[in-house]
Amino acid sequence: MLRPLALVLLALALPAGAATIDAVVRDARGRGVAEAVVYAVPEGRELPPARKTAVMDQRNREFIPHVLVVQSGTAVNFPNSDDVRHQVYSFSPAKTFQLPLYKGTPANAIVFDKAGVATLGCNIHDRMTAYIVVVDTPHFGTSGRDGKVTLPNLAGGKYAVRVWYPEMKTEPSPIAVTVTGNERTEVSFVAR
Amino acid sequence: MRSFQAKLLYLLVSVLVLLLAVTLIAVHVFGQRTMRKSVTEELRVGVRILERILEGRSRQLADKATVIAADFAFRDTVASADRATIASALANHSERIDADAAFVISLDGLVVADTLEGRYAGRPFPLPSLLREAEARGESAAQVALDDRPHQLVVVPMLAPRRIAWVCMGFAIDERVLDDVAAVTKLDVSLWNASARRPELLSTLPQQARGELLERRRAFDRGRRDADEELEIGSTRYQAIVHPIRTADGSRIQTLLQRSIEEAARPYLLLELQIFALSSLALLAALVVATLFARGVSRPLETLAEGAQRIEHGDYGTPVDVHQNDEIGRLATAFNEMRTGIAEREEQIRYQATHDSLTGLPNRTLFLDRLEQAILKARRTGEIVGMIMMDLDRFKDINDTLGHPFGDELLIEIGRRLTQTLRESDTVARLGGDEFAVTFYVRYGRRAVDVAQRISTALETPFALAGVSVDVDASMGIALYPLHANDAETLMKRADIAMYEAKRDHSAFATYEPGRDEHSLRRLAILSDLRHSIAREELVLHYQPKIDFRLEKVAHAEALVRWRHPVHGLLSPDEFVPLAEQSGNIGAITKWVLRRAITDCGEWNAAGLDLTVAVNLSVLDLFDAELPTYIGGLLSEVGLPPSKLVLEITESAVMKDPAYALRILRDLKTRGMTLAIDDYGTGYSSLAHLKRLPVDELKIDKSFVLNLQASATDDLVIVRSTIELGHNMGLRVIAEGVESEEAWNILRDLGCDMGQGYYVSRPLAVEAFRVWVRESKWGLG
Repeated sequence: MLRPLALVLLALALPAGAATIDAVVRDARGRGVAEAVVYAVPEGRELPPARKTAVMDQRNREFIPHVLVVQSGTAVNFPNSDDVRHQVYSFSPAKTFQLPLYKGTPANAIVFDKAGVATLGCNIHDRMTAYIVVVDTPHFGTSGRDGKVTLPNLAGGKYAVRVWYPEMKTEPSPIAVTVTGNERTEVSFVAR
Repeated sequence: MRSFQAKLLYLLVSVLVLLLAVTLIAVHVFGQRTMRKSVTEELRVGVRILERILEGRSRQLADKATVIAADFAFRDTVASADRATIASALANHSERIDADAAFVISLDGLVVADTLEGRYAGRPFPLPSLLREAEARGESAAQVALDDRPHQLVVVPMLAPRRIAWVCMGFAIDERVLDDVAAVTKLDVSLWNASARRPELLSTLPQQARGELLERRRAFDRGRRDADEELEIGSTRYQAIVHPIRTADGSRIQTLLQRSIEEAARPYLLLELQIFALSSLALLAALVVATLFARGVSRPLETLAEGAQRIEHGDYGTPVDVHQNDEIGRLATAFNEMRTGIAEREEQIRYQATHDSLTGLPNRTLFLDRLEQAILKARRTGEIVGMIMMDLDRFKDINDTLGHPFGDELLIEIGRRLTQTLRESDTVARLGGDEFAVTFYVRYGRRAVDVAQRISTALETPFALAGVSVDVDASMGIALYPLHANDAETLMKRADIAMYEAKRDHSAFATYEPGRDEHSLRRLAILSDLRHSIAREELVLHYQPKIDFRLEKVAHAEALVRWRHPVHGLLSPDEFVPLAEQSGNIGAITKWVLRRAITDCGEWNAAGLDLTVAVNLSVLDLFDAELPTYIGGLLSEVGLPPSKLVLEITESAVMKDPAYALRILRDLKTRGMTLAIDDYGTGYSSLAHLKRLPVDELKIDKSFVLNLQASATDDLVIVRSTIELGHNMGLRVIAEGVESEEAWNILRDLGCDMGQGYYVSRPLAVEAFRVWVRESKWGLG
């Protein structure tokens, strides 16, 4: 419930009258894939630097959210809302780090400056797992159960629309989309 | 008796031994079968245990591998470090869990690092199926051959926390596994990789057996899997099962589980031994019980047998001492009753054998016995034994006139008086008929006369029986031991002689006078009676037929005189004729015979029977000049032709005074009578004499004829020559004493004229003779 609300808030914050991409991610049987990340990377333009921070909370021995998308250069905080300690780590090439056993919010956030996926784990709770997807664009979204993602407020131009989802084995080919004005463009991915 | 006991024991032992043998065989057979079944079951269980142990090890290995794969530093290394670091970390971790092989495999199936000298690094993992299975199930495990040696491998993912690599750990399947199986199952376990070029054998067997097994393994490799096998290694027989282990790489890893049959059979053997021991004990106990039982049965039987033997030996006094409340006890009781029964009956028989049934007095046997005893005793004490023989006069008359029952009563009464007269120690016996005897001891011989006197006095009183009063006279003869005889029998004879003397003298008693012999006295007695024999009509005539061989019919009948003596019974002429000759009575007898015979013959001829009668003449008759006239008178009186009368004279009669005899004979011959020489062959008549005699017939003495048979040559020669001689002299020859058919036939064949003897008929009383003449095949009827 929180996530769609956040998206709505995000959309409201953007200037009106821009183009929108409506993406849907389906599996081979046509069902929507949840927690799929769809992001549009503009081509041939400088991207505005990331100015936001993100939070990967730990509550009830779970990472929240399970999939977090951030623009590269975003600093992510890892507050521990549990009363037990956690030792968060990532061996992923996108970002290798570890936060030794801690409670509360660590003093320094970790900056994810390289595009890629960091798989998070807790060394003392093997079942805890989460993904931080680092993308080189501010235009991204995460699907709900219907597998739909809306990317609004896109300035006219060429975009490569890409997708990532946790169980992805091979990345589906990016879809090139050129948008102008207020139009809406629909794209779809088949997850494999 | 022992054989009964032995039989019982034998039977019992046989049955028990048979039972025991059957039991043991059954136990053995079922034991073997059960043992084999249980060994088969053990082997199958062994296989399951082997599988279970391998599985357990695999599980353990997987757990260990999982722990290693979760090691943070190791994950860190694998996620980040270079191959060399990863390889060293892998080696370190595999050492920790004592693994024999370890791999780190990338998610795309390439070996990142291995502990096998890096030989697999950079190449695809040789068992991709394990990776696929691990992907599907989270982990996988399998048996494989690594470098030809059997191993257990497990593959687990390395999670960080998502899968970043595979970790594969391997344990060599070594003797520890087999030892584990052996420890649980007590089986011998062997294992080898049949696919290897040079298989190594792992086994719990001793070293030597391993070599032998290794040589033979190919047979098992070819055989069916999980089938029962039997094999012999060294001298030990095994039951075995071959079980190939499932492998992931297609290599054939064989396991052989085996059990020593001998060892498996040991508990059964022990059981058999126990059964045998227990059965033997039972057998022994049964034997003891049976022996006691058999003895319990055979003892009383032996006692009974001994009792029976005692009875056999005449001891009826000792009862059989068996007191049992069973069949044998009843038998013993019955036996004892039988014993007393026999004793009583024997006593009765003995009494009857030794006592006179009428008077109850001792009989002759017992009297003789008592007399012997008395003599034996007297021999020691020097006493004198007296005995009196007593005979009643005219007892026959009493019997005839007053009847036998009266006679019997009289005898009983006489016995009673005798007993009363004598002392208790004396013996009174009835010897038979009206003859009594008593015996007693006396100090002096004279006393015996006193005893006789007392008896005589006792008998003087008339006997009043059944309303009739009878006077009885008795004659008594006294004889004394040792005066008259030294033994009982002689003493009795002497007493008898004395009794005849008393009779002759018409005195009550007489004492034996030494010098008198019994025979003469008897003769005297007979002589005295002979005078009266004709008057008393005691003489009778018997006739014996003579058969004419040619006619095969009776032609003559020889008259033979018999004397029915009131005391001595039927007397033959041999007994009384010599006496009659000596006493001058023969003439009267001959005349009586001639009259009787001629009368009978006359009657026969009158009745149409063509018979000639033959009468024997005595020597003395030949000196009676009156005889021819007497006979002639008789013949004409009866009306019988003289030719129907044959007069038989013995040789000896003629020889006595041949001249005188010849005169008489000629006279008789002249009167037309037939003359025959009797008993021819016994005398010494010369042929010359014979020739002069006016005889017509010759009778061959029966001594030559009695035993006449074809093979007895002497008699045959005499008979033949006599017949020939007689015929030559113109005489008819007659054979006496023909008693067999053989003799009959011989005589007929020799041409004998007539035959006489028991073969034809014995001498018959006149009535019987008439019947014979009518009915015999030789008769005239």
